Amino acid sequence: MVSGKPSNLKSFKSSKNFNFILILLCLTLVFLGKLDLIAIRNIKAFLSDFLAPVTFALNKPVKEIAGVFEDVKSAGSLREENIRLKSEVRKLKVINSKVSSQELELLELRQLLKVLPERKNKIITARAITAPGGVFANTVLINAGEDYGIKVGQPAISSLGLVGYVVNVSLKTSRILLIIDINSLIPVYLTNSNWPAVVQGQSGKLLTLKFLSSKAKPIDGEVVQTSGHGGRLPPGINIGKIVKSFSGKFYVKPIIDFQRLTYISIITNKTSQSMSSKNFDGFAPLQKPKSSINLKGFNLSGKRVIESPEN
Amino acid sequence: MIKHIKNFYYFYKFSKSILFFVFLFFTLNFQTSLSFFSIFEISTPSLVSIVIYLCIVRFNINPSNIILLLTGFFHDIVIGNNLGITSIFLLIFKYFIFRLILEKINKKNQEEWIYFTIIFIFSFSIVFLLNLIISFSLPELSPIFFHVGVTLILFPIINISINFFSYVSRLIKS
Repeated sequence: MVSGKPSNLKSFKSSKNFNFILILLCLTLVFLGKLDLIAIRNIKAFLSDFLAPVTFALNKPVKEIAGVFEDVKSAGSLREENIRLKSEVRKLKVINSKVSSQELELLELRQLLKVLPERKNKIITARAITAPGGVFANTVLINAGEDYGIKVGQPAISSLGLVGYVVNVSLKTSRILLIIDINSLIPVYLTNSNWPAVVQGQSGKLLTLKFLSSKAKPIDGEVVQTSGHGGRLPPGINIGKIVKSFSGKFYVKPIIDFQRLTYISIITNKTSQSMSSKNFDGFAPLQKPKSSINLKGFNLSGKRVIESPEN
Repeated sequence: MIKHIKNFYYFYKFSKSILFFVFLFFTLNFQTSLSFFSIFEISTPSLVSIVIYLCIVRFNINPSNIILLLTGFFHDIVIGNNLGITSIFLLIFKYFIFRLILEKINKKNQEEWIYFTIIFIFSFSIVFLLNLIISFSLPELSPIFFHVGVTLILFPIINISINFFSYVSRLIKS
């Protein structure tokens, strides 16, 4: 039963005005925070550094217990998982043999075309300190900051694909805005049709596709990757796959399981660029190359075509 | 002598507030870390609102406004939320508890689950609207419904467990 005591009521009446003042103060804080002032950013960064060990210590036991539960749960489906993995290994072996032969061809072609060699990414891997929980915010704190050369805007990846990008850096920690957050916008392209678009988080499980041409026809299961437009993120990082909703609208399902993020890598050689008219490329259409510009003796996918002497 | 007693009283009050702050901060962290469990993958329940409600209504502990403000502020920094959002929620939540339960409507102190539901949904709606204004876009609603739903389901479970434990402890004492 509830027991509303009169002593509580008296103290409430006296602090009612104070309560409103504090709510107003909080509202001011919210709007100041939204203005992204340097002073507030620095205070946030300093306090994140200060609170990081405490948060890590408080999260650790829960994470371990959750891990035990997951292990027990997965133990039940070990047999099916084993069968699935065996068939996947078989498929991958076939793909691997094809890829290795195509790789040699690709290298040869690159040499012929004198394509600029790709820069090797400098990567720093750090541990995720906080859980991405939160109804309105989807961010993760990692235990590497300015002292490791991390800067705002640098992309955060895992072995599967893009996790998000750095939004705040302090000396010892950095905050990563996950791609599922409502404030996250990533320029992407559909890998089958090469159409560019922008994916936006919804603070849920799926990402919405924005600025996709009406001519584009996405395919269910089509892979979506970063396009590199705008120069903020490197191209070719996996984002997820296209899924079709019951209403017929297309969404992107992220490839990453954000609940099980333990280690996150930051690509540190990709510096954030300011959006000036000089370095902004704009959204160049990523059309498939026409057959007329193909090299003689090669088809669209880069395979050799043996022409018969009669042709 | 009286001055010393006064000092001691203030020190006692201060230490009590600090302890309550640590407790609330711990609860908020625990709430966030629940997302490691696959059942709370979509969203985590608002344990802190259940804790505050029970503290005020059942255990007669009145958390000070400053404590709520600071707890919310630090929690926002930890999870990367907009600064002040959690503080606003906690302050509004406390205000509604006093306004609806202790001051006016529920003087008989019954049907607490319904009152908790009303208070929680009211306070959460205000904060949700504020977030909509700030972000200028409507987020996916399923995590929000899950958050509200799970919190409302958990409240009676926690309440009944507390009743059960107090009953058992009374039995043992007698």
